[in-house]
Amino acid sequence: MTNILPSQAGLEVNGLVYQYTAVKDPETGMIVYVQNEYADGSGYIFRNADDWTGLPGNTIRKKFVFPNLNAELWGPGSIEVEGEGSVEDASVVYSYRYDTCFDPQSDPSCPGYEEQVEVPEIPIYDPLQDQLVQEDMERKARIQEQEEEEERQRRREQWAISNALEDLLGDGDNPGLVDPVAEAMALALTSRTLPTDYYYGLDGREYFDTVVLEGGDIPDNPSARRSNLAQQLLHQQMVDSQYESSQQETK
Amino acid sequence: MLKVVVPMASAILATEFVMAQTEIVGSVDSKCIIISETPGVYGNPNPYKLTTATTDGGVQPIIRYDVLAADYYKAVIEHPIAFSSSPTLDDVVTWTGDVEVSEMSDTNMADYDTNKVEYDNAHEYEMTVAGSTWFKISSAADYGYSKSFPAGTYTAIVEAECIPL
Repeated sequence: MTNILPSQAGLEVNGLVYQYTAVKDPETGMIVYVQNEYADGSGYIFRNADDWTGLPGNTIRKKFVFPNLNAELWGPGSIEVEGEGSVEDASVVYSYRYDTCFDPQSDPSCPGYEEQVEVPEIPIYDPLQDQLVQEDMERKARIQEQEEEEERQRRREQWAISNALEDLLGDGDNPGLVDPVAEAMALALTSRTLPTDYYYGLDGREYFDTVVLEGGDIPDNPSARRSNLAQQLLHQQMVDSQYESSQQETK
Repeated sequence: MLKVVVPMASAILATEFVMAQTEIVGSVDSKCIIISETPGVYGNPNPYKLTTATTDGGVQPIIRYDVLAADYYKAVIEHPIAFSSSPTLDDVVTWTGDVEVSEMSDTNMADYDTNKVEYDNAHEYEMTVAGSTWFKISSAADYGYSKSFPAGTYTAIVEAECIPL
């Protein structure tokens, strides 16, 4: 039906008129079906039978009224002849109407029409472009930079102290190389940073393992016996198999 | 023999005599409607002949009968046997004509032509099926013995009646 009815949404078929001329012998039987299938193929949306059996052929014209059936329901149409005879000059005319309120929004007078709410245009706010935010971000960046600089400074001082300590520990035997003031300061720092047992010595010697076997015998694990026996059996089978295969090759 | 006489009290109601009239109105719409669908035209294939045959340039008139109740009416259609208006004719006009069912709204009307009764120029159909029936009338007039019709306008009338049974 898509090639017959306009492809307008909201179309409704409300009538049908068909006409054809039956050509037949009055004595023979003939039934003519004028029909339209449902679009989904589930039977016929319209089907009418004209029984011409025992009647002379003539032109028939029939009109049908439908309760505004949606055009999308209508599938392929056909005229089917059952019996002896034929159909000539057939025409089927569909009457339809367009439901102007199929889309309620198409006309304010349609039932179900909803007033369109105008959405105001909201300007897009980019906080990164705000002057106050920028100033705050710059302030935070400055603070962070300041903190980093302080951290660097602190590390430099720590590094200097560590170096001084290393110098002191490395060259402590040469009093000429040690500045008394620096040494005193280093010692003061050392007493604060190093643990008191840093200077304790350890007696160097070798500690040997001592193996003690009570009774001198290590017994088998009885709970693993089954596993051991199974593996042994498997191993024996494998060896036997290899032996048999080698025997067969030699033969 | 004793007779028991039972006095019966009779009450006579003193009422006035009242009379009222009410009317019943009914209207009857015809269940048989005749509609002239196609007016006929005479063709003039030769000087002495006027005919509605399409092959001779004529148009056959078509009359539709809409019968709403079956078996209550008969249709009588008369093809013309005289001109209703024409130039003065001083010779004999020979009329021929026919009426036949051209279309129908029900297959059971297909034997109307078989069952029709013809007399004179009248064709009488029993309207045994409800529905619409189209009748096609043919008419031909021959003038004299191959004599030319005088120039002018010729009009003939087809009479169609629906007679209640």
